[in-house]
Amino acid sequence: MRAPRRVLALVVVSLLAPLPFHAQDLSVPNRPGSLKFAAIGDNGTGEQPEYDVANQMDLWHRRFPFDMVIMLGDNLYGSQGPADFVQKFERPYKPLLAAGVKFYASLGNHDKTSNDSYRLFNMGGERYYTYARDNVRFFVIDSNFLDPPQLAWLESELKSAREPWKIAYFHHPLYSDGGRHGSEVELRVRLEPILIRYGVNVVYSGHDHIYERLKPQNGIHYFVSGAGGELRQGDLKRSAITAAAFDQDRSFMLNEIAGDDLFFQVVSRTGQTVDRGVIHRDANQ
Amino acid sequence: MIRAWRYVRDHYLVLPLGGAIAIVWSNAWPLEYFKASQALAFAVNDVGMAFVLAYVAQEVVEAAMPGGTLHPWRRASVPVIAGIGGALAAIAVYLLYVGSTDEEMLVRGWPIACGVDIFFCAAIARAIFRRGSASTFLLLLALASDVVGLAATSRTFVVADVHPAAGLLIVPAVVVAAMLRRRNVRSVWPYLLSSAPLSWLACFWTGLHPALALLPIVPFFVHSRRNLNVTGAARGEHRRARHFEEVFEYPVQAVVFLFALVNAGVLLRGFGTATWAVLTALLAARPAGILAAVALAVSVGLHLPRNVGWKDLIVIALTASLSVTFGLFFAAAVFPDGPLLIETRIGALGTSVGVLIALAAARLLRVGRFANVPLARQPIGARLTRGRA
Repeated sequence: MRAPRRVLALVVVSLLAPLPFHAQDLSVPNRPGSLKFAAIGDNGTGEQPEYDVANQMDLWHRRFPFDMVIMLGDNLYGSQGPADFVQKFERPYKPLLAAGVKFYASLGNHDKTSNDSYRLFNMGGERYYTYARDNVRFFVIDSNFLDPPQLAWLESELKSAREPWKIAYFHHPLYSDGGRHGSEVELRVRLEPILIRYGVNVVYSGHDHIYERLKPQNGIHYFVSGAGGELRQGDLKRSAITAAAFDQDRSFMLNEIAGDDLFFQVVSRTGQTVDRGVIHRDANQ
Repeated sequence: MIRAWRYVRDHYLVLPLGGAIAIVWSNAWPLEYFKASQALAFAVNDVGMAFVLAYVAQEVVEAAMPGGTLHPWRRASVPVIAGIGGALAAIAVYLLYVGSTDEEMLVRGWPIACGVDIFFCAAIARAIFRRGSASTFLLLLALASDVVGLAATSRTFVVADVHPAAGLLIVPAVVVAAMLRRRNVRSVWPYLLSSAPLSWLACFWTGLHPALALLPIVPFFVHSRRNLNVTGAARGEHRRARHFEEVFEYPVQAVVFLFALVNAGVLLRGFGTATWAVLTALLAARPAGILAAVALAVSVGLHLPRNVGWKDLIVIALTASLSVTFGLFFAAAVFPDGPLLIETRIGALGTSVGVLIALAAARLLRVGRFANVPLARQPIGARLTRGRA
């Protein structure tokens, strides 16, 4: 069943990719009742580029009213006192927070573990957790410390999940063509068999300060979105598994799940669309 | 051939050999390497290493017997103080380094700063000092530091389901070992087949590192006194087929090889903050801490061993920066598979440069076998290959 699904997804993505579009057009369908969310990673610098990305998110939110943001780790860099939460999170995303957008954070290597208790990160005091929205269950994993209890928890939660869409996100990418870090192979050996076994559809990560969409690996679609504030310009080393990538500026992702389709659009700091497409879920999965 | 094998055995070359294979393998075929290493990790790190630690513990127990190097205990006080001083300095610098960054999650890696590679140090000490007091001083120092690390990591081993009641299994384990000893059972096998599994299960199910499982059993083995020496060449009772050292001399080498193979594989691009923290703590802070601790001990009236001077101490302190085996062991005990473990492993492996630093210092200071030889005639490589005393 896996091969036809992968082929179908590739066909849909490749058909959409060459279509002409205006860089600042909304490429996701923006259907009423669909689940809409944004994704940012490695954002918490508190510097101007983070504010620029946050401004873009606010602008796009007015056209595409996503009601949640998944955070892929390194939510705050440097010192992490109360003033830092204001400067590096609350102030840049103030318009979104004011609009009722909820942020769901995962922990990166620069985050303090105690940040799981920060109310606006909605982690409920847990470094790994799960939550469901509409027909999607999200699994938020702490890839810094993938210990046996967490793996047992993940397996148990995936096993009992009934939602048709299963999305996992965590900081360190299992697949990446970032030159500085790249694929975390030792994590992949531990984690990927579980994700495959229980039919996870999509995985989002950060850590490499670029955007990259990987060709589906073992039936799972992987995104690296680690340029929400930090940037490692020109760091991408394209390989056979690179589907699309952008390493020239900061970026964030817009996502929409409607039925069995996940639409995505990647927007740069200047508002340019740098990637877009749709992932089709095999309803028989 | 026999001489070559003895050289490999006495210098614990299985360790760098396994490490080199692991590094090449992990960088050339990472997926295959990590699949293999993670499949072997439990058998090697949690079972096999129990025999390695027991092997070292047995040496300590015998050295503490009347006539042994550690008897009476006061003779060991200065190197023990030096080892603890070195460990404390390394821990402090590791924590300061990590604290100066925003990677708080690395704090839990502080026990890695305690790791001194007993086997590697023994081989280098033999190359520099042959079998003098300085070698014994270095081994005692290493033991003291590793004991701090073992104590720190004993509770960091994490299993998915902890069963505290299983800890009671340690009682029958010790009772059986005591009964065997009371009946004067001299072979190690009855101890290993009855007490050891109970002790291992007690550790494993209570969340204690199971590599520590044989430590409560070792004191009940039949011992004979000896000097501290973890690199073979024992005599007499130690050569008998029933003696732990004789039985496990080669299996321990095999485990050390596998340990290096399983744990030393790192993607070279995986370095990070923890790498530099470990290197700074071990290559700079630990030697400084050792020398400061010895100075403090001497200032309060304790005496250095005979034939060990400050020049020797400098070389000893630099040699003690080698952390490979125990650094990797502690790293695997505190971090699960993942990027933080890789970062710290690279740091532990990087302390191998301490060999060159120690040899260069020994040559410059004309210490050990470099004494009385003009500097110009001291090719370092030749010193290592010129055989042992």
